[in-house]
Amino acid sequence: MYLYLYDSFLNKKKYNTVLARIETRLTDLGIGGKIFRLSPLRNVEELVADEIRGGTKTIVVVGNDKTLNQIVNISARHDCTIGLIPIGPDNTIARIIGIPESEAACNVLAARMVKKIDLGKINNVYFLSGLQLDGSAVTLHCENQYVITPPRPKSAITICNLRPLSITGLGIAYFNPEDGLLEVLVQPPASGLFKMRKGSIASQSVIPFKKLLITSRGSSTSVLTDGQQIIKTPASVEVAPRKLRLIVGKERRF
Amino acid sequence: MFKKEGEGVEEIETIIGPSVQVEGDFIAAGDVVVEGMVSGKLKTEKNLRVGTGAKIFASVAAQNALIAGEIQGNVKVDGNLELTGTARVFGDVKAKTLTIASGACLHGKCQAGEDRKSKLEKIEERAKPKLREKEKAAAASAIISS
Repeated sequence: MYLYLYDSFLNKKKYNTVLARIETRLTDLGIGGKIFRLSPLRNVEELVADEIRGGTKTIVVVGNDKTLNQIVNISARHDCTIGLIPIGPDNTIARIIGIPESEAACNVLAARMVKKIDLGKINNVYFLSGLQLDGSAVTLHCENQYVITPPRPKSAITICNLRPLSITGLGIAYFNPEDGLLEVLVQPPASGLFKMRKGSIASQSVIPFKKLLITSRGSSTSVLTDGQQIIKTPASVEVAPRKLRLIVGKERRF
Repeated sequence: MFKKEGEGVEEIETIIGPSVQVEGDFIAAGDVVVEGMVSGKLKTEKNLRVGTGAKIFASVAAQNALIAGEIQGNVKVDGNLELTGTARVFGDVKAKTLTIASGACLHGKCQAGEDRKSKLEKIEERAKPKLREKEKAAAASAIISS
């Protein structure tokens, strides 16, 4: 049984046609189900928990990265499979997991290629794609064994579970959400003519890990989870292996 | 040992880039590429590549290693160790096979080749006490007979 969660931004009139087409396609494929429209007044966690108790096995997020991350955090605590129908801008995760936009995503859902993938966990908050932090102010204590310090100011640190789209040149083994590891990606600040080479392998560092502690060198700094939630340092990060069942497409990048 | 940049890398490598400093016991299961600074201990079960600009203040252990940067500490390699012309090693070096390019700098004891002695040497060693016993016995019998 399927549960479709529509993001609140889809209430805009311009999305009516797309949604109607998607609903028709889902009915044609025989994977129709209950539809709920998210709103700030509705408690999503309670809703999801009730539906799973009622026999729902698959939750399909209709929206963008922000919607998916919100639901991933809830579903990690329950036994269910997550699907995605990307609509609108900010859909990088959909590209990484190989799901095409709007109507075409229904075919991927119907094909139902389910992968058990890792999630990251920072202070009991789960994240799917990664964390962003300012490298000039933090120190990373990995596996209780060694410390990583980016000596250059303005280095960008990303803790990745899924492959960032900007990365080129590194093989498919890197940033694999099925390997039970997260990766620290340190990118030095690009300047002048070398701005174009920001994605080159030579200048960046990739260090796989299972557990680390983020501390700040001065006052507490913030860590951005999947581009939406802010967490203050110190914070502990660890991998939650094979925590999420996700419907993926053939064009996925892992 | 390592694939060139840009080629599809199938096995995961740890890359310590020039923008990073690592302190402590860094123990990796896969290949490691160091272009930055490492201090403490560096150990990998697979291959290690130390880039030209890298500085390592640590004892190093790896399966195979290609060194083009600076290492201040002992290096122990189970397989092949290659020092390029830009390598600077201040410490003892131990490897099964050692290749040193002209221009490389090595300050320390150097041990290359297998630890184990050859079969012939072992047989000779085992045979030595027996020969001595026989000689003693022969000498004793000669004294008695005389």
